[in-house]
Amino acid sequence: MSATANSNLPRRIIKETQRLLSEPAPGISASPSEENLRYFNVMILGPTQSPYEGGVFKLELFLPEEYPMAAPKVRFLTKIYHPNIDKLGRICLDILKDKWSPALQIRTVLLSIQATGRRNSEGMDSIVRNWSLNYQDNRCEELKGTVEMHYGPPASAAYRRD
Amino acid sequence: MGNGPSNRRNGRIQHNPVAPPPPPRIPPPPGYPGNVGPPHYPPPFAPNGHHMPYLYPPSYNGPMSAPMGPQFYMPPTNGQYTMNLPPPSFRVQHQAPPAHIPPPVAEAQRANTIRNDVNLKKPTLRLEEDEENPGFHLVSFTFDATVAGSISIFFLASEGEECSLTPLKPHLYRAIRVPFEKGFGQKFRQASGTGVNLTLFDERELSREGPGEVFPLLVRAETVPKDPPADAPLQDELPPGAPLPKYIHAQTTHSIIEKKDDGYKVKVLKQTIWVDGIRYDLQEIYGIENSGGGGGFDGADAGKECVICMSEPRDTTVLPCRHMCMCSECAKVLRFQTNRCPICRTPVERLLEIKVPKNDLLNIDEYGMKPSAPPADGASASQSSSSTSQTSRMDGGTLDTKVLKGES
Repeated sequence: MSATANSNLPRRIIKETQRLLSEPAPGISASPSEENLRYFNVMILGPTQSPYEGGVFKLELFLPEEYPMAAPKVRFLTKIYHPNIDKLGRICLDILKDKWSPALQIRTVLLSIQATGRRNSEGMDSIVRNWSLNYQDNRCEELKGTVEMHYGPPASAAYRRD
Repeated sequence: MGNGPSNRRNGRIQHNPVAPPPPPRIPPPPGYPGNVGPPHYPPPFAPNGHHMPYLYPPSYNGPMSAPMGPQFYMPPTNGQYTMNLPPPSFRVQHQAPPAHIPPPVAEAQRANTIRNDVNLKKPTLRLEEDEENPGFHLVSFTFDATVAGSISIFFLASEGEECSLTPLKPHLYRAIRVPFEKGFGQKFRQASGTGVNLTLFDERELSREGPGEVFPLLVRAETVPKDPPADAPLQDELPPGAPLPKYIHAQTTHSIIEKKDDGYKVKVLKQTIWVDGIRYDLQEIYGIENSGGGGGFDGADAGKECVICMSEPRDTTVLPCRHMCMCSECAKVLRFQTNRCPICRTPVERLLEIKVPKNDLLNIDEYGMKPSAPPADGASASQSSSSTSQTSRMDGGTLDTKVLKGES
């Protein structure tokens, strides 16, 4: 299956992959799997001055057949404590859903995901809305405190390497 | 395939010569995938909206012992995590939006193009101090002209019928007219001594558009096409700002003047052209400077290519938002997927395709997005210049201008 899938790879995906590899965005690495060039292994560093600073987050990114007309499918593999990310690692981000635009790219999507580490709980959907109501008014510090209470000292606090 | 997803991921990352060293191996979370069991989802929230008595995320060593492990992960169907098939969670969460938009009828129409004989390059318009006459300022700019003509300059003037320009304070500055020859990239600067003393004007009047189409600075470039009527008076005999006859073509640049610490700064509000007795507003097309029309096109140079396929040069503009961001092929595909502009998500009304053959005339096609869209009315000459039915014509004018610039 993979041979046929990879042989019909659109030029856009090839170009995006090349650019991701040759000029990676700061704190982000994405490399395609060899069997399926539509599947990417992604590593994102937690943004500085956020509760996620110092963390290395693993994600998977899949480009569906309709890409770029449809959004890539992205999921956290590293467990993360974040109002917009559910327990399966699914991300609530508008550009991955109804606000997708074919002008967006893998790079911009990953940058947006990285930036959610800085955000308060805006734009969350029903997956986490109820859960995060308690945290909505929290400042980063408080979130950090909560995280630390549950997971111990910073650096490994807001995510888990298990 | 049985050794779990993280194994395979780590194996793959090394394929990439530029990739960072493989991360420390992250073992798969308990029960995922491999750990086959019945899907067990504790409902995250009780029906009454209160939290169920479990913590998220589950804590291993935390003070509260929460249910943890397998039940928080959806076991894959068969313990495998196939690559081509997104995991079940993906399918649940991110369903591709169905292509519910009915296939629009592609009615390509040849858009009306208007040749604009002269174009003042907006960013180059400046007020420079006259060294020989301190306190006076001279207008300067760069422009393209395909035929000869003349430039007129007005300060604080109102625009009336048939593009007539009337200075409100003729005693402070007398409008001047300066002839020019044809040519691209010409530099214009008022002759020393013909400048304006802006301190005589009210600063507030200079800094804004006044009521009744009054503009602080108006620069008009007039051209006479090849065959003016035999009985027509010479252009030079008409006073600057006189109503324009039909056979004269003109471009007018409307600006305001802002006083800064280091002099006066000109800010262009709009440009209009006057062609065959009709006034058009010129509207810029965003992205046309980077489109395939000008300069070399190669893959390394991002920004010139279609944002969708990233391969072909851009040639299609979304209307009404005027984002030139696609190639025509991708635009055709896009019409079946969405009706939003890829750049700004404004609903698409029309697509404007501009084909620029190597050394030939422009070829502009328009595609209506809606089957009910009325055809562009090519014969709307009698309509007012602000009518939306002339959008294509206005843009045609801009295009013409911009492409001419590109050829220089």
